Amino acid sequence: MRRYSAFAIAREAARYHQGWERAWASPEPKKSYDAIIVGAGGHGLATAFYLGKNFGITNVAVIEKGWLGGGNTGRNTTIIRSNYLQDASAAIYEKARGLYETMSQDLNYNVMFSPRGVIMLAQTHHEVRGYQRTAHANALQGVKTEFISPARVKEIVPIINLDGPRYPVLGGLWQARGGTARHDAVAWGYARACSDMGMDIIQKTEVTGVRKENGAVVGVETSRGFIGTKKLGIVVAGHSGVLADMAGFRLPIESVALQALVSEPIKPCMDCVVMANTVHGYMSQSDKGEMVIGGGADGYNNYTQRGSFHHIEETVRALVETFPMISRLKQLRQWGGIVDMTGDRSPILSKTPVEGVFINCGWGTGGFKAIPGSGWGFAELMARGYSPLTAEFGLNRFKEGRFIDESVAAGVAH
Amino acid sequence: MAEFDLAIIGAGPAGMAAAVTADKAGLRVALLDEQPRPGGQIYRNVSQASADRVRVLGADYALGRGLTTALAESGVQHIHGAVVWAIEDGFRLSYTANGTAAQVSARRVLIATGALERPLPIPGWTLPGVMTAGAAQILLKGSGIVPRQAVLAGSGPLIYLVAAQMVRAGVPPLALVETQSTRDMIGALRHMPGALRGWRGLAKGLGLIRELRRAGVKRFTGADRLKVEGMDRAEALCFRAGGEDHRIACETVLLHHGVVPNTQVARSIGVSHRWSSAQQTFTPVLDAWGGTDRPGLFIAGDGAGISGAMVAEIAGRLAALKLAEEAGHLGISERDRRAAPLLRARARELAIRPFLDAAYPPYPGALRPDDDTLICRCEEVTAGEIRQTATLGCLGPNQAKSFTRAGMGPCQGRYCGLTVTAILSQTTGQSPDETGYYRIRPPLKPVTLAELAAMAETGATNPEGE
Repeated sequence: MRRYSAFAIAREAARYHQGWERAWASPEPKKSYDAIIVGAGGHGLATAFYLGKNFGITNVAVIEKGWLGGGNTGRNTTIIRSNYLQDASAAIYEKARGLYETMSQDLNYNVMFSPRGVIMLAQTHHEVRGYQRTAHANALQGVKTEFISPARVKEIVPIINLDGPRYPVLGGLWQARGGTARHDAVAWGYARACSDMGMDIIQKTEVTGVRKENGAVVGVETSRGFIGTKKLGIVVAGHSGVLADMAGFRLPIESVALQALVSEPIKPCMDCVVMANTVHGYMSQSDKGEMVIGGGADGYNNYTQRGSFHHIEETVRALVETFPMISRLKQLRQWGGIVDMTGDRSPILSKTPVEGVFINCGWGTGGFKAIPGSGWGFAELMARGYSPLTAEFGLNRFKEGRFIDESVAAGVAH
Repeated sequence: MAEFDLAIIGAGPAGMAAAVTADKAGLRVALLDEQPRPGGQIYRNVSQASADRVRVLGADYALGRGLTTALAESGVQHIHGAVVWAIEDGFRLSYTANGTAAQVSARRVLIATGALERPLPIPGWTLPGVMTAGAAQILLKGSGIVPRQAVLAGSGPLIYLVAAQMVRAGVPPLALVETQSTRDMIGALRHMPGALRGWRGLAKGLGLIRELRRAGVKRFTGADRLKVEGMDRAEALCFRAGGEDHRIACETVLLHHGVVPNTQVARSIGVSHRWSSAQQTFTPVLDAWGGTDRPGLFIAGDGAGISGAMVAEIAGRLAALKLAEEAGHLGISERDRRAAPLLRARARELAIRPFLDAAYPPYPGALRPDDDTLICRCEEVTAGEIRQTATLGCLGPNQAKSFTRAGMGPCQGRYCGLTVTAILSQTTGQSPDETGYYRIRPPLKPVTLAELAAMAETGATNPEGE
């Protein structure tokens, strides 16, 4: 693989950009691999990448039924933050945030990480208390956040209306090193690095079954035939339940549609991410200038990747009060992604009842921010059978009642 | 929310005919249409047109009055000026009328959104002064405006009609630059037996061509290498025809090479589509009545495949009969009895289609645009950039969006979708069906956040109460 550099850009500029090589290969599947990851989204590709980089396991295939990065990785609102309440969550999200800081260099791929800062608005007295508590917890965890006053919020976000009649702004939880990244580029960067290590990214290939012998996995049936492996990582977000069913176990997960929308582009007017969890809305401005707005999750289970309009309506009604200037912006596009929610709103990174099968799911509404941390920990779990990052996130916590309750920090809004 | 037995999107010939037929059968019908008056593109403004306007536009145009009158006399709730921007299962339609968003719900839906002009990306097609022939016709029908110093370029029967209408309006075009070749015409001859069954259409076309000849309008055929020249606006159309290079100085270039089904609504709710190689476009998969693979959802008119206004009207009536039967307002035998003459008439009207499709194929140069030609106007993406994404491993139009943003602007891919699919499938060697098409998302047309935010409070009834 040729490295990307300023010189490469200059060279290509001089020849109409005709010389760029393919960033990843599209190989035919081999008969078997040391490890197979199902799902070429951010988490799956990151897992493959760290399997190779940290543990030298490179005979790996990543199997994707669509195209890489085409699921929730390409559908989220790209927010990165780590201001969670519980220690286990803060650890994995902060690990991820740290890896985002150097991801462009590590992958030699510009993922456009922009630590522009994230504010979570406190709009009820209950939220004020909750976020002050989170700020204290974060201080103990070594995650840098602070609770700020309405005046400071206004300073950071001049276009905000603090005095909305229904949703006044009473303060905010501010994480200055939170931000955004280009979501597609995260998947592409990992894919390029994986392909460079000799891993096979097999797109447009659907896993249709999991073959087991004596309670252990021996491979997967796919739309392109059987592929053997002794280690299988399932990283398919909203479709985890379907894959778990193939492998023969059940998951405490509900799949619902979470939706987002985007406006027409306007000049820069907001240089941070604002989240309003009371109203299930969050907004940032893309590099193109569009206002990217995220909404709540649907109240019923489905796989439609659409979402329903009454949720968008609710979100937008509240956001128009908080940001009156956006009211005349045109909405260009609305979409949904299928998110996998657990009861405690924390992910599952775990061994499963089937030997050799590992599962990484349950990221719910907030998986993008966790991609590098999740890949790091899950690769370690798959390679060694244990990872300090993932230890608390096992499946058995639902049997034993050791929940990692993040419904306040995760709630709906991410 | 207002509830209906049937909601129809689009008040063109298919929509109007279906609405009137279903209303007579006893269904509660809502007809939603973007325009202030019914008629669609073909019969735009027909209910208000002056005698002079009708003389210019021709007798076929005046036929639309039968439908608009029947609609006005029916019990159909015609919600005019309504831009439908979302359709959800169940069915629920969201629309904006008079700056206010609202919803209607209906047990069944008929999509009658007609056709779009096939985009004709050639060098210079984005310059001011270049528009489509259909746009010129909208100006003519809506406001009696005719572009001066205009050249018509491309292929298809509509070009003759627009040119003749311009002649009658006293502002003839400078020239007709047609891209179809003699070889296309010879190839089309094998469809002649069918075309002769539709001899009325042929005679009309020949009449138009005669009318143009009498008016002294120059015609070029087999034109290639079309290019619009100009700095700030279109100044000339350049092309090669008959072994010579031509340059016609002009103020307006009117491009057209056929129309394609407007499939946005159907695609947004997941109706299956297939590539039609005869029409070089995707068409929805339908049964004989216009029913889709989703229960209760029907498509009629050019949105189901291009076949013209007369077929659209018939298809609208057929779909309405089936819908009325499904809703229990019509027995099966009565439905079939009333459908039989319609089916015969449709077969007759369709007879000429294969000939027209073969004789007036799309301009090949626009199906394989040069690398430098813009194909996505909203996001300014060139054909070369799309080709490059394919060589870099892009598998289809939806991935091309994240590579290039093509199809993500205000038109939401209506104008570049087919071109992007064509370029990707040429580059990767996959068929258009394998390559696929953009996933269409709501809103189908942009809607302001204030409209969205106010939707719940204003409820779902049309503020005009119409």
